[in-house]
Amino acid sequence: MLSVTGLRATVGDKEILKGLDLKVGPGEIHAIMGPNGSGKSTLSHVLSGRDGYTVTAGSVLFEGQDLLTLEPEVRAQLGLFLAFQYPVELPGVNNTYFLKAALNSLRKARGEPELDAVSFLRLIKEKLKILHLDDSLLKRAVNAGFSGGEKKRNEIFQMALLEPKLAILDETDSGLDIDALRVVAEGVNALRSPERSMIVVTHYQRLLDYIQPDYVHVLARGRIIRSGGKELALELEEKGYGWIDAELAA
Amino acid sequence: MNAPLHSGLEHWLSAPDDTPAPDWLLEQRRAARVRVSAQPLPHSKEEAWRYTSLKGLLEQDFSAIDEPLDALQAEDLDAVLIAGLDAHRVVLVNGRFAPELSTLDALPAGVRIGGLRDWLDRDPESLRGQLDTARGESGAFFALLNTAGLDDGLVLWLERGTLLERPVELIHLSVELDEPRVAHPRHLVYLEAGAQATLIERYVSLGASLYCTNAVVEVLLGRDAVLKHERLQMESRNAFHLTSLYLVQDANSRYVGVNIGLGARWARTDLNTRFRGEQAECLLHGLYLAGDGQLLDYHLDVEHAVPNCRSEEQFKGLLTGAGRAVFDGRVLVAKHAQKSDAAMSNRNLMLSEQAEIDTKPQLEIYADDVKCSHGTTVGQIEPEMLFYLRSRGIDAARAQRMLCLGFAAEILDQLGAEAVREQVAEAVAQRLG
Ligand SMILES: Nc1ncnc2c1ncn2[C@@H]1O[C@H](COP(=O)(O)OP(=O)(O)O)[C@@H](O)[C@H]1O
Ligand SMILES: [Mg+2]
Repeated sequence: MLSVTGLRATVGDKEILKGLDLKVGPGEIHAIMGPNGSGKSTLSHVLSGRDGYTVTAGSVLFEGQDLLTLEPEVRAQLGLFLAFQYPVELPGVNNTYFLKAALNSLRKARGEPELDAVSFLRLIKEKLKILHLDDSLLKRAVNAGFSGGEKKRNEIFQMALLEPKLAILDETDSGLDIDALRVVAEGVNALRSPERSMIVVTHYQRLLDYIQPDYVHVLARGRIIRSGGKELALELEEKGYGWIDAELAA
Repeated sequence: MNAPLHSGLEHWLSAPDDTPAPDWLLEQRRAARVRVSAQPLPHSKEEAWRYTSLKGLLEQDFSAIDEPLDALQAEDLDAVLIAGLDAHRVVLVNGRFAPELSTLDALPAGVRIGGLRDWLDRDPESLRGQLDTARGESGAFFALLNTAGLDDGLVLWLERGTLLERPVELIHLSVELDEPRVAHPRHLVYLEAGAQATLIERYVSLGASLYCTNAVVEVLLGRDAVLKHERLQMESRNAFHLTSLYLVQDANSRYVGVNIGLGARWARTDLNTRFRGEQAECLLHGLYLAGDGQLLDYHLDVEHAVPNCRSEEQFKGLLTGAGRAVFDGRVLVAKHAQKSDAAMSNRNLMLSEQAEIDTKPQLEIYADDVKCSHGTTVGQIEPEMLFYLRSRGIDAARAQRMLCLGFAAEILDQLGAEAVREQVAEAVAQRLG
């Protein structure tokens, strides 16, 4: 599904990703853990095509296609989705209008007809329920004035609606209280399927109590320095990230 | 004997001939003509004309329209109607009231709507002391010219306590004639004490005609009166458009104005408002979109002449291509106008490097116990907003349009009728490509 090889990326003249390798198969859930500033968001952004990063080496293949040459909207149309660590407020942009535009863009790219208003609304209501979100959300502007928890739930709600093949969840757990975390995790779990892969980026292993990953990777200083199963997350929880410096120094 | 007009404007006024005007009005017109002839043309050394040149306007050799255009059929109007807008409709064609195109049946008691020319013919004395009073002693050049050429327009008059539910739609339709023409429509809106109405004033054209509109709108709001006034300037992209609003508000009245500016190649809008009684409120909203070959120039003159009134001026601009806009807003708080509350803002979104905005909000405050603020911003689309939309599969051009409409939403939401709101949003989206 996704194959990242030797990826190096810079912001300005600062190198942030320094030869990163990652392979994600269909239906797999990969957790990426790492200390703050290790490059987790940078990886998410480079994969989804945000401006401001220069890829200096390596490749990213998504279902055999070279992702790095594609515009962000084309990546999304191919089935990539990023749940933002900091969802962006769009004052004045109505949520329903936004969701419809997004869904219909994806459908159009797949050669499917646009959804009519009634089917769209029915679909939306169904997805809102999964995330325990209120209808009133639809009348508001995208993320504008949302609480931190609402913003994160809104990200997963969009994911539920857009049904990506590969979702990258960038610290979706940060800033959530335990109840909100449970709702978000339930939403994510409801979307698990043999065809849908996920990269769950997190700083804490707490989220992984609710979303069981198939693989856990440790990202530090721009590289994946260790990979393993769930037990690696528990080990990190116990030991913290302090050992990484020691290990890298050795 | 008529005083000669300035070079470039020689033909702007027709000989005062057949207009059925009473003596007092003829005298007012004559005086305005004398005054405007004696005055120099507006020029860039005047603060009010600092950013806006008359050159293009003077090159056109516009001439006044003397004959009404009868050739239009009801079907010709279809192209400019807003589907789904239920309103009492008044149509002016090239500045002349066209009763056969207007729908003024079923007017409730206490509501009088008609063409100014007809009115002057039938009942001239009723307008004495109302018509051309809101303008006061103003020596504004083009408003004087309008007075000198005053001929036809809309009169909307609500008697004391009358509530008019359906909006009044004024369609000012311009049709190209054999040579470039200028019209001087004059509208008078008079709401007596406690009356309430909505006026939707639209400037539109058939085709890409070249013409000039030089309109003056006078609004008199009696005590407790409420007017919602939506003004949609959607002239032909070849047109020149000048409009001056003179608003006078009595105690406890409320005025909500929404000014949309999308059309014309060169447009100048002057909004002059004055509180005459306390506890009155005046909200002026605006949205302009200037693109290639366009200049949209706004001047606000808000006078807090008495205490305890509130005004809010909120204008937003979208600038694309080599479009230019000017926002020159002035709020004046007189010495004894204590407890005045005024908030002015002008925010602009620049969508190209060549676009230009000159913005100059000013507060002139002579009272000491007031709450006044002003702010102005000139910015670009936030890249992270654009990325957010694109990351959801929406292409860059559409994402940009969505963000521009989002920026404009605060103003568009002020338009009361959904049909109008949608039409304007659609027109904005279309202009954004
Ligand atoms: N736009 C930027 N300009 C400069 N430095 C940046 C920028 N974005 C990220 N960085 C730096 O790159 C490093 C990795 O950041 P990030 O990917 O956000 O880390 P994480 O998500 O793991 O906390 C940090 O040192 C951060 O300061
Ligand atoms: Mg991060």
